[in-house]
Amino acid sequence: MLMLERMIFERIETRILVGITAFFGILLMVGWVAINEGGRMAAFEERSLARSIERGAALFASGCATCHGNDGRGITGRAPALNNPQLFGYDFGTGEITAQIAKLEEQRDLRTQLPELEAELAAETNPNVRQQLEEEIAAVQKAIDPNFDGIDFDAEIVALQAQYDELAGQMQQAIANGYDPAHPERLVNVGWAGDLYGFLFTTLKGGRPVSSSYWPQAMPAWSQEAGGPMRDDQLEDLVNYIMNWDRGEAWTLADLNAVQQFAVEPARSSGGGSEQQADASPVGTNVRQIMGDLEGVEGDAARGEALFNSQETPLGGVALGCSGCHNGVVAPAAEGLWARVETERLADAALAGYTAEQYVVESIVNPGAYVVEGYQPIMPGTFGEALSTQDLADLLAYIHSLGE
Amino acid sequence: MSVLPFPTILDDIKEKGLRRALYDAVDTTVERVTAGMNIQDIREALRGEKASRRPNPRLTPHADSFWLHMRPSYFNKEVTGIYPTFRLGWLSTYFVFFETITGILLMLWYTPSPEIAYGNMLNILGNVPLGQFVRDLHRLGAEAMVLIVALHMMRTWFTASYKKPRQFTWFTGVVLLFATGLLSFSGYLLPWDQLALWAVTIGASMAEATPAIGKEVNLLLRGAPELGANGLLRFYLLHVLALPVLLFVFLGVHYYKVIIHGHSLPPQSEKIGEDTAKRVPLDKRVYFIPDLLTNELMWLGVTTFIMVVLVIWFYHAPLENHADPQVTPLGTTAPWYFLWIQGALKLGDKFLMGIAFPTALLGILAVMPYLDTAPSRRYKDRRIMITLGLLLISVTTILSYMGLPEFAVSTSAEIEILHELDKEPAHNKMGIIRPVPYEQLVVGWYTTAQFDVPEGEDVDAYLAEFNATIAENSQYEQLVDDLRQTAFTVTNTEPMFEAIPEDAPELEAVLEEFYHMLKEEELELPNAWGAIIITENQDGLKRIDLAISWDGVEIEQGDVVLDENGEPVPLMETVLVPVVDENGEPVMVEMLDENGDVVTNENGEPIMVQATEEVQQRVRRIRVQHIFLHRNAAYFQ
Ligand code: HEM
Repeated sequence: MLMLERMIFERIETRILVGITAFFGILLMVGWVAINEGGRMAAFEERSLARSIERGAALFASGCATCHGNDGRGITGRAPALNNPQLFGYDFGTGEITAQIAKLEEQRDLRTQLPELEAELAAETNPNVRQQLEEEIAAVQKAIDPNFDGIDFDAEIVALQAQYDELAGQMQQAIANGYDPAHPERLVNVGWAGDLYGFLFTTLKGGRPVSSSYWPQAMPAWSQEAGGPMRDDQLEDLVNYIMNWDRGEAWTLADLNAVQQFAVEPARSSGGGSEQQADASPVGTNVRQIMGDLEGVEGDAARGEALFNSQETPLGGVALGCSGCHNGVVAPAAEGLWARVETERLADAALAGYTAEQYVVESIVNPGAYVVEGYQPIMPGTFGEALSTQDLADLLAYIHSLGE
Repeated sequence: MSVLPFPTILDDIKEKGLRRALYDAVDTTVERVTAGMNIQDIREALRGEKASRRPNPRLTPHADSFWLHMRPSYFNKEVTGIYPTFRLGWLSTYFVFFETITGILLMLWYTPSPEIAYGNMLNILGNVPLGQFVRDLHRLGAEAMVLIVALHMMRTWFTASYKKPRQFTWFTGVVLLFATGLLSFSGYLLPWDQLALWAVTIGASMAEATPAIGKEVNLLLRGAPELGANGLLRFYLLHVLALPVLLFVFLGVHYYKVIIHGHSLPPQSEKIGEDTAKRVPLDKRVYFIPDLLTNELMWLGVTTFIMVVLVIWFYHAPLENHADPQVTPLGTTAPWYFLWIQGALKLGDKFLMGIAFPTALLGILAVMPYLDTAPSRRYKDRRIMITLGLLLISVTTILSYMGLPEFAVSTSAEIEILHELDKEPAHNKMGIIRPVPYEQLVVGWYTTAQFDVPEGEDVDAYLAEFNATIAENSQYEQLVDDLRQTAFTVTNTEPMFEAIPEDAPELEAVLEEFYHMLKEEELELPNAWGAIIITENQDGLKRIDLAISWDGVEIEQGDVVLDENGEPVPLMETVLVPVVDENGEPVMVEMLDENGDVVTNENGEPIMVQATEEVQQRVRRIRVQHIFLHRNAAYFQ
């Protein structure tokens, strides 16, 4: 100690030298750390994701596996698979083919529609109707895609259909467990605008109370804010664990067929409807056609109210859940809706020529067409498939009755 | 005549030429900044020469500048070396500022809320460049500061520097010790991880033991019955506001007192009962400028250098899992500098040992200079005080040792062993299976029975026999039942334990260690075997199930009950077994209801059921638990 003291402290030069060396040493080391920070931080993120997955796995085993299966492949009739290409939006080809067929059909139909409309126009004398027809013709002309000119639509469709059937043939097991090859992307099916992480997180956070209408037991809310047992960081762990099932481009048909249970998509499911409606067909989304169909159908406001409040189910067999959102906060309130449509909406130049009924029908079957200011375009676009003409008439009667 | 209508440097340039004028300008600025020393003075000082002008310019900064007026212009040569101060007071001060600076940096990324605090820590570690570096510095600095301050106190104890006239200096020092301890402790909670929550919960619950006001004190501290959002906010405010203010105020007083009385000379250097610290003979003067200034700057560099080296290569601040009031970690401890209180708690009542003892100790320390008024500071005259000082050190060390979770905690052996295998990384320790390289976690069923194989016998044959045995005595069934409860899909109906493959030596080492741990606890876990079952859960994620199966023994208050021969008393249970006659046919009897009456069917005939009898049977017990290990979790780094 004394030696050291003599050597270092006694002479001012040594002190200065040692001090300067130390300061430069610090600079060098901090610089060295700084240079390596990028790599270190990346490694840390990787490691903390890995730990998060580990914790998520433990949470899954203790809280989720009883319904979603130990391997996440779902349990028949209990809850859908999460270890599942459909959830990750992996299309084995059938979805793409379906879209191509739909496009071909659309183009083919447009091309047959055009001469029919033109013939109608030639025969029409009423100037109002003529104007409407002219507009429609213009719309059809605009929709015709010249890239499809000269195509043998039917042959193409048959060829694609054959491809589709071949693929679907390899998915028999999955289809039996609820897979719809035409709609292979879960997030698209539910109309989720965000990413998968957000979908999983919010589903865990708030649960899905309505799922009790199509599952024996609803998915409970897991977050403490929603009355569940878990903190948000635990939900994150769980989501990280679920996301770790994603195999990216490596999903195989075997994975698909190993799934025990697929998600049920309420708005599209066709089974389970009440009997007298079993042979009715959905209204679709063509407003002009629907308006024709509605003619002479008597609406029942009482049943409309029951439908609106999810006490009755429409053609689709699954409760509509209108009242869940139409409270004036998430979506415009139902009270006084009709009157508002007549006095406010129809005054908008964009809606010139609409009747109130036409507007409401369009808003139900094609909600994205016009979104009231101050609200988000979140209303599902699937009601055209879920409602029969009678269902729609009943709803209209109910909404009409509220407006007065 | 001036170049411009008012005097400027341009006039100087005109007069003296550019070079000279600029030099003079810089020189004046330097003299202003240093409050008295120009470039030439500094140069002379750093060269170790005598000042060339009078009055001595090296003294003016002490008179005129704010910062240096706090420092004496010269010290006694006898106190500037390592002995007698060991630089400990200086180091304590160093850490006060070191912690303030690193702490302010961390504050930029920290929000005191249970929802986000932990996320903030992850962000600091994974997203803020140099974030981990600064956090490590702050944490290491905090722990070092506690130690250094305590050592500083002990050195003033041993050199009797608390004696007249420095009694009050010592007293303010005790306040500083208190503030330092609490600062470290309050900072402990902020990361909001398991370590933090539970260490502080223990600490805060001691406050509860105070009679009469305990509940209120506790409530005041935590802001709620449970440590939560309010508690975190309060600890945060204590940590960044209240305690630093206390510390700085008392540091001011403390240092003022130190300067006013002068550093006490080594006890031998002055006559008994005299204090000559302020009278420094000319030949003993060491001037602050340049000697102590360069000395301190050097130490600043050297100490920081050491801290940086430690933080880069040797020390990383711990961060455990997110705080969870529902999950009590096994072996919760206070931070090491409070382990002595935890140790004392094991000796007696919560209030007596947890509150009264530390408070009394602090109280006695505070008034010590007013009790020990003997005039002599010489070591040979202070045998009692020096003994007491050494005693204090040894007692706190022993108590701290006793405070370790390993000491005198009675957790049952099976829990202890499984914990040893799989515990979360905490206190720089982790379960021994975690660092096994991922590739060596080969999917399969392994058992410690593998090491029971008698010399020269074939392992596979032995394990086949083992499999058959546990299938027969339904130990396997018991294992599978328990596994199924924990979301484990058992696909095989027969046990299929196998030897660990050769390319997994580290896994084998863990299994062997497991085997030895079971052997060591043979008294509590007779005829035990352990299992490690590895399955693939996801790509890159394996599930490790650990199990211990053993013959139950009677346990009372954590200890095995022994019979008169010193043998453990077996745990028995009563089971109902069907009675059969000598031909193996079931014996039938009339069915009775709860009143003992014969139950009849609608025809009035008694219903016959198979007879059962109660049999005493030794309980076979099992415990399973599992963890998941991800390929990238890198526990081995
Ligand atoms: C944050 C905590 C503290 C700081 C920053 C601090 C700072 C200092 C400094 C810079 C000195 C002069 C240099 C030296 O003697 O090493 C000093 C002296 C002294 N300190 Fe402290 N101190 C602290 C805590 C304490 C404690 C806990 C005690 C005792 C309970 C204490 C008692 C004394 C005494 C008696 C002296 C006078 C020593 C002498 O004149 O030789 N200090 N302190």
